[in-house]
Amino acid sequence: MNKKEVFKLAKGFRGRAKNCIRIARERVEKALQYSYRDRRNKKRDMRSLWIERINAGTRVHGVNYGNFMHGLVKENIQLNRKVLSELSMHEPYSFKALVDVSRTAFPGNKNMTPAPKKEGLAILV
Amino acid sequence: DVWNKTWYPKAEDHVNTEKTWYVVDASDKILGRLASTIAIHIRGKNLATYTPSVDMGAFVIVVNAEKVAVSGKKRTQKLYRRHSGRPGGMTVETFDQLQQRIPERIIEHAVRGMLPKGRLGRDLFTHLKVYTGADHPHQAQKPIDLPIRDKRIQKQT
Repeated sequence: MNKKEVFKLAKGFRGRAKNCIRIARERVEKALQYSYRDRRNKKRDMRSLWIERINAGTRVHGVNYGNFMHGLVKENIQLNRKVLSELSMHEPYSFKALVDVSRTAFPGNKNMTPAPKKEGLAILV
Repeated sequence: DVWNKTWYPKAEDHVNTEKTWYVVDASDKILGRLASTIAIHIRGKNLATYTPSVDMGAFVIVVNAEKVAVSGKKRTQKLYRRHSGRPGGMTVETFDQLQQRIPERIIEHAVRGMLPKGRLGRDLFTHLKVYTGADHPHQAQKPIDLPIRDKRIQKQT
């Protein structure tokens, strides 16, 4: 019976959406659409979380995420971001070794000219 | 298995009693740059164990809040607005007036704008402690100095 299946899927919904079939049917349809979309979004969100964690982990050692990954690519280290983020959290010494490898391969853009120093009245601006 | 599932913090990984406490002196620091570093540390974005749904950040104590600096003409021109909800209920104050009335609110307003807005953001905001004057009642937490990496945070005089 379709109603029975709908109510089974509507467990935990707010208010009438878990008890009244006309509302529950709409909400369950929406929930299934969201879960379809989010199975694809989850992959993106996870990768973005790994990148944030790697960024935090490398900045502790003075290197930012972009330069770090470029260095790894240059050294042909094919560790993926999931594993790199786990290393940055649980294996700090191995991660530091990776950061050092990346830094020797790509020392970063230290050749940038620093921001011009303001002098005199320009300091107030 | 540990290597194929992304780590998610368990309850004992974010107990409030074991979080770091930082202290920072706000005198002659540029308001926005200071608020930005504080918000990063409160949210936990500087840690490799950062998780957006969990409070992994640290506590931050700000002292000498009345001496925070702003550049340019903001001291007289920056406006703080609040609305009571009733028609005609908007109050507008300048930075100067607010600093004389309630100096802590300036830093709180700045940091609150930089934290996420939501249930977790409101909880994170309670981890910010702002005090005027140079001492704070949190000596028992043994706060350490907040590491600031921004080179332009100190007001040039």
